[in-house]
Amino acid sequence: MAKASADKDDVVRVDFRFRRELAEKLEGNLASFCYQCGACVGDCPATTYSDGKFNPREIMLKVLYGLGEELLHEDSIVWECTNCYNCHERCPQEVKPVEVIISLKNMLADMGIYPDPVKKIINTFEETGRTTPINAAVHRQRERFGLPPLPPVPMDEIQQLIEPASDKGGTD
Amino acid sequence: MEFAIRYTLPKLGIELVDLEGASCCPDPIYFKSKDKMSWLAVAARNLSLAEDLGLDVFTNCSGCTATLSETYHLLKDEELKAKVNERLKRIGREYRGTSRVRHIATVVRDEAGYDAVRDSVVRPLEGLKVAIHYGCHLLKPSRIMQVDDPNNPTVLENFVEALGATPVRHRNWYLCCGKACQVEDVPANMMRDLLSTIRDKQADILCLICPTCFGQFDYGQMKVARQFNEDFHTPPIYYFQLLAFAQGVPYDKLGFERQRFKPECLRRFETASSPAVGASATQTEAE
Repeated sequence: MAKASADKDDVVRVDFRFRRELAEKLEGNLASFCYQCGACVGDCPATTYSDGKFNPREIMLKVLYGLGEELLHEDSIVWECTNCYNCHERCPQEVKPVEVIISLKNMLADMGIYPDPVKKIINTFEETGRTTPINAAVHRQRERFGLPPLPPVPMDEIQQLIEPASDKGGTD
Repeated sequence: MEFAIRYTLPKLGIELVDLEGASCCPDPIYFKSKDKMSWLAVAARNLSLAEDLGLDVFTNCSGCTATLSETYHLLKDEELKAKVNERLKRIGREYRGTSRVRHIATVVRDEAGYDAVRDSVVRPLEGLKVAIHYGCHLLKPSRIMQVDDPNNPTVLENFVEALGATPVRHRNWYLCCGKACQVEDVPANMMRDLLSTIRDKQADILCLICPTCFGQFDYGQMKVARQFNEDFHTPPIYYFQLLAFAQGVPYDKLGFERQRFKPECLRRFETASSPAVGASATQTEAE
């Protein structure tokens, strides 16, 4: 369970700087509406199959307390999310915990931290405009099935689009 | 899969138009994790290509549909739309929000209908027990996807019944395939539980509607079987390949030989004499 930093009088101090940074990300501000009901937990496959180690309610609580350092590091728990959207479906407050978690991943990306397989797929997309690399074997398979050749992706356009806005470092 | 889609949809009266210049949607797991605004801008570009043609967009992958549907949904917000259009201006494009985004399953259900699917079948798959895996993004978030009741969907059962086969719903029908999860134990434990339930039901095949789920159930099934020393062996099949087979495409033309678990059980329908089309299976429409 997360503990917020407390001074001698046990007064919890919330780190709003981290929360403001998270709120810059698309839908990263939604954790503010979380009232910790736990509806997201009951239906979360990552919770069920990690024996409760992954817990979206707890991640939202850490966000509310501004405990960025517990979430933003190598091997962060956020990468255990299965992106199933059950929490999005169940949340009575429309917090969309999965979207807050993806916003946390965006913050990790800003720090240059990704799991290797994720980094590899992102690179493939940024270089080719596709998530799966296209090679000679793919072309041969397509021919065999009588499928039209894959049309080229105008990469100049894609690269211009994914260039971050100059003033705010990618968050717009 | 693509061959099966290009073969089956015209038989149901649906004409396909390729979206020239389209890129990856992009995916809602990896690239979205890097930068949501870039993800949204690329998705909006893809939708703007369809807007130029005055057509709705469908995709055959639930994740792609999730990205494009979410983009459509998010960009109803005028402020956000303006921001995204600022980016699109860099390449001389504009997103207007005039093309609807749909999953292939809803296009077929709503434009052709289950009866048209049933009428297109020349090789009814009678007696074939088909386990159903819905996957996550076909249904959720339901406010955005608007496909079916996320707590009690019927669309895949109805599609399978339309082929003359018997859908088998198992306890874990709603589970995730685990693709997005970046640790080993969570998807492995989940897949083991899921595959055990399917095995208990003695289904002949497992029917999927999402290509990403397919990979998890083919290669992933082999991995999990080895890891836990379990006998898992239910061949996964993408629905539109099953439909193409039922519409008469020979087994050997559907690429099944590339699967780790091959649906050899289908071969018996190739040799059997075809009974009267659509003689069995009554069902209710979802809408």
